[in-house]
Amino acid sequence: MSNAALNELIEAARLDADHVFSAPWEARAFAIALQLSQAGHFTWDEFRDCLIAEVRASDRIRARDGTSNHGQYYDHFLHALENLLEEKGLAH
Amino acid sequence: MSGDHHNTGDSGPAARVKALEAVLTEKGLLDPAAIDAIVDTYETRVGPRNGARVVAKAWTDPAYRKRLLADATSAVAELGFAGPEGGHLVAVENTDRVHNLVVCTLCSCYPWPVLGLPPVWYKSFAYRSRAVSDPRGVLEDFGLELPRDVEVRVWDSSAEIRYLVIPQRPKGTAKMSEGELAAIVTRDSMVGVAKVEASRA
Repeated sequence: MSNAALNELIEAARLDADHVFSAPWEARAFAIALQLSQAGHFTWDEFRDCLIAEVRASDRIRARDGTSNHGQYYDHFLHALENLLEEKGLAH
Repeated sequence: MSGDHHNTGDSGPAARVKALEAVLTEKGLLDPAAIDAIVDTYETRVGPRNGARVVAKAWTDPAYRKRLLADATSAVAELGFAGPEGGHLVAVENTDRVHNLVVCTLCSCYPWPVLGLPPVWYKSFAYRSRAVSDPRGVLEDFGLELPRDVEVRVWDSSAEIRYLVIPQRPKGTAKMSEGELAAIVTRDSMVGVAKVEASRA
């Protein structure tokens, strides 16, 4: 990863430093995952394992292609949530 | 959600979230009002201002600083900060000899009760992949050049442990109140990618 790529990222983050989420769906996906875990449908650790798997798969592509995954975090987050709900049989 | 006649599961994320929310609400697993409350909490209530109050108190109250270093989870709870992802918090203190930097190499673990949700750069491949192997390079990217004799300690967050950096109190702030000090403490300084500057006040 070049310094330029990280610098770009830092600059981007400074510009929207006040926004935790960049789109409403990101906030709702986060809140769905948190509420379901708080209600005991899964533990946050179980969710984290799914998220780590998504992030790891993406990292392998970044390492190979030298591209940035800036901005894709909540895509991974949503995939992880969908996978876990599927695994738990909660989504149908 | 769209007028698409084929439903391949490849529709955009906003539509997928809406569909999930609808199914889960229908099944009685989700309360939409509670979803709104969680969003509001993390967009407006829980954030780095909490951590800044912790740091300012540690700077001005030696007994509190001691408690914070001994058991950060309990010490931040004294100020009312607790909740998800705050279970085992460790405070690490910057000094003239040691600079601490926090990362989560696997995903995005972060001390929510004191810092809120992590910024974009913290979750990026660029940061996660380089913070451990080249911490000084990362700090330079953030505009922070440390003297060679300062030891850089990198803390990799895990499911079990979250870290809060207590930055150094800047010179020239002796007369500032705890509230004024809290106002100059930045999120980045509590992750360890920046120093606190007195001039912000």
